[in-house]
Amino acid sequence: MGVPFEALIPYAIMLGMFGVTGGALSKLRHMQNGGKRGRHSVDQWDRVLMERDKRLTGFLRGQSDRAEAPDGFELNNPWKVEKRFM
Amino acid sequence: MASRQARFNQQVLIDTTPLPDDIPKVKEIGASSAPLMSASFFIGARCRPYNDDYMKCKDEANGRGELDCLREGRKVTRCAASVISDVNKHCLVEFRKHWECLENQNQQLWQCRKWERPLNKCVFDNLNLEKTIPGTPEGEQPVHLRAKQIYANPFMAGFSRGS
Repeated sequence: MGVPFEALIPYAIMLGMFGVTGGALSKLRHMQNGGKRGRHSVDQWDRVLMERDKRLTGFLRGQSDRAEAPDGFELNNPWKVEKRFM
Repeated sequence: MASRQARFNQQVLIDTTPLPDDIPKVKEIGASSAPLMSASFFIGARCRPYNDDYMKCKDEANGRGELDCLREGRKVTRCAASVISDVNKHCLVEFRKHWECLENQNQQLWQCRKWERPLNKCVFDNLNLEKTIPGTPEGEQPVHLRAKQIYANPFMAGFSRGS
């Protein structure tokens, strides 16, 4: 008598569901990074530069290689302030 | 009624008042992080005197550097913009290949040597700017010219071993 395949069905379901969650999370990260691979070991300098990228391109991972910034870029630099100063 | 706009954010203040007219205008750099990283050594090669000048000015301004060194700062910005626009004019294909690789590899230069070499060659041929890493020990091959890499990711496209 062969292996009873009914016993393997739960394992197939478990593996399949792990695959679904993993695939969904990977797709989500892919979308959040604009189709690129994610950044890691991001330090304060990288964070500041990514914020600048966002001001330039409108997206945290957006990139542009223009030599001159679009109009108004020099005016949208935010001041980080504390509540007591506002 | 109210002459100023309502402000809802408590931590971030965006002041859209332009600089006064007695300060000469300069266009900011439009390149974002990965293209700047890719062009950084060429910017250093051409703009080193201006950058050193600016840092010296800030060093000697006793904390008033942001106000007193605006003139030097404008020179730094203009010089960097000139490098970026020249690289864009002459080596756009190699430049884009390199910074797109950098952007996919967490902006780690050593993962993208394969595209860095044609970019360095193109920039040297057309703009006469050579990448030199400051502080490289005498008589040792600089890290970007070594044929063999140990730490680059072998599964990534930017890798070229022993070429």
